[in-house]
Amino acid sequence: MRTILKLTSTLYDDLVRRLREPHDFAAERVAFLKCRPALSATSLLLLAGGVHHVVDGDYVDDPSAGATIGRSGLRKALQTAYTEAVSMVHVHLHEHRGRPGFSRTDLRENALFVPDFWNVQPSLPHGAVVFSFDSAIGQCWIPGSSSPSGVEVAIIGNPMRCTWKVTNGY
Amino acid sequence: MVTKLNLQRQSFLGADSEIVLDRSRSALVGLGGGGSHIAQQLAHIGLGHFLVIDPDFIEDTNLNRLVGATLEDVGLGTAKVDIAERVIKSVNPSADVVKRLASWTEVTAELCDVDVIFACVDSMGCRSELEGFARRFLIPLIDIGMDVHELSGEFSISGQVMLSMPSKPCMRCLGLVTDDGLAKEAARYGAAGGKPQVVWPNGTLASVAVGFFMKIVTPWETQKATPLLLEYDGDLQTVTPSNKLPHLPANCKHFDSLNELGDPFWTPLTVRELLA
Repeated sequence: MRTILKLTSTLYDDLVRRLREPHDFAAERVAFLKCRPALSATSLLLLAGGVHHVVDGDYVDDPSAGATIGRSGLRKALQTAYTEAVSMVHVHLHEHRGRPGFSRTDLRENALFVPDFWNVQPSLPHGAVVFSFDSAIGQCWIPGSSSPSGVEVAIIGNPMRCTWKVTNGY
Repeated sequence: MVTKLNLQRQSFLGADSEIVLDRSRSALVGLGGGGSHIAQQLAHIGLGHFLVIDPDFIEDTNLNRLVGATLEDVGLGTAKVDIAERVIKSVNPSADVVKRLASWTEVTAELCDVDVIFACVDSMGCRSELEGFARRFLIPLIDIGMDVHELSGEFSISGQVMLSMPSKPCMRCLGLVTDDGLAKEAARYGAAGGKPQVVWPNGTLASVAVGFFMKIVTPWETQKATPLLLEYDGDLQTVTPSNKLPHLPANCKHFDSLNELGDPFWTPLTVRELLA
């Protein structure tokens, strides 16, 4: 079964604009897509309906990573997942073209903090996605499954961009 | 013997267009005068995956407009989905055609999987429900509709093609669906006979709808924004952007809640079903 993250181009354009804003010390910004899940005949769909942004003061000055969220920032994200009953998908942007990849740090940190959302929403899938300017790749943790599955991404707009339709980018 | 669709003459759609179209999946809800035209055109442009949905069988009154239907079909009472499959496969034998002799409400899990839904349905209530479904699963919906009105002893043909793109103005924003209209339609339920329908307006509207689809999936230019609503004047033989468009909000306010996304009931049982 495939996992597909769907978001509108309106949401995507706003997300990318915010992720590209400079920060005082963090090298990049991160956010969380607030999603509701659905099960189709062949796929798990994560349908994004909003963004939980990490505010400037919730980054920690950590030169070993592009962006590190402090305790307060993580607590706010967990609170959002709990109160709004949403799947949370951590997102960041690698500023290049072509298929992006998670760094070793990304993979290590994803495995640590994404399953934490099960503490507040245990029946929902949660995940992490990295975008480039024209592509994306992701991981999803499904409740009851010990390892993450891959995530395809579809940006719904005019034009429509889907990672599985072409071999290089959307 | 030629066994494969040659799309060389539409290569201007982009280097990847053939792959993109081959991997795209569209649903056609309703395979009457409009839907049958669209099925035929999507087969010609090389769409790889079809979900065709209609609970009806052909009748003799359909033959004036249902593309691909024959007198023999009328005699046999062939299902409209079977006629659509035959038309598609006769153009592109490698197309994957999933046909459902059912109402779209009975095949929602499969309908969630498509990239674009073509709504070729008769009633305001049905197109409103279908749009609500498409918005819930972030699926663009292309709706076509035509009507023949009697005016002062003569007749007037009109219609429209609408692109309902998630987050953008919806049918309610555009006035195509109203509470008053739904109430009047409900009051008429069961009383109306067959509506007048003819082949050439359906063909015009279907061609515009396929143009909308191609602009979304394999755009050949990106500078001109496609109007969300095009109005067809069958008397003047014109298709023009609706004069409502300049007055619309940029984004829809009718479907803007997180609660209107995804499966309404997601439980641990759903997760077990997923893992199974």
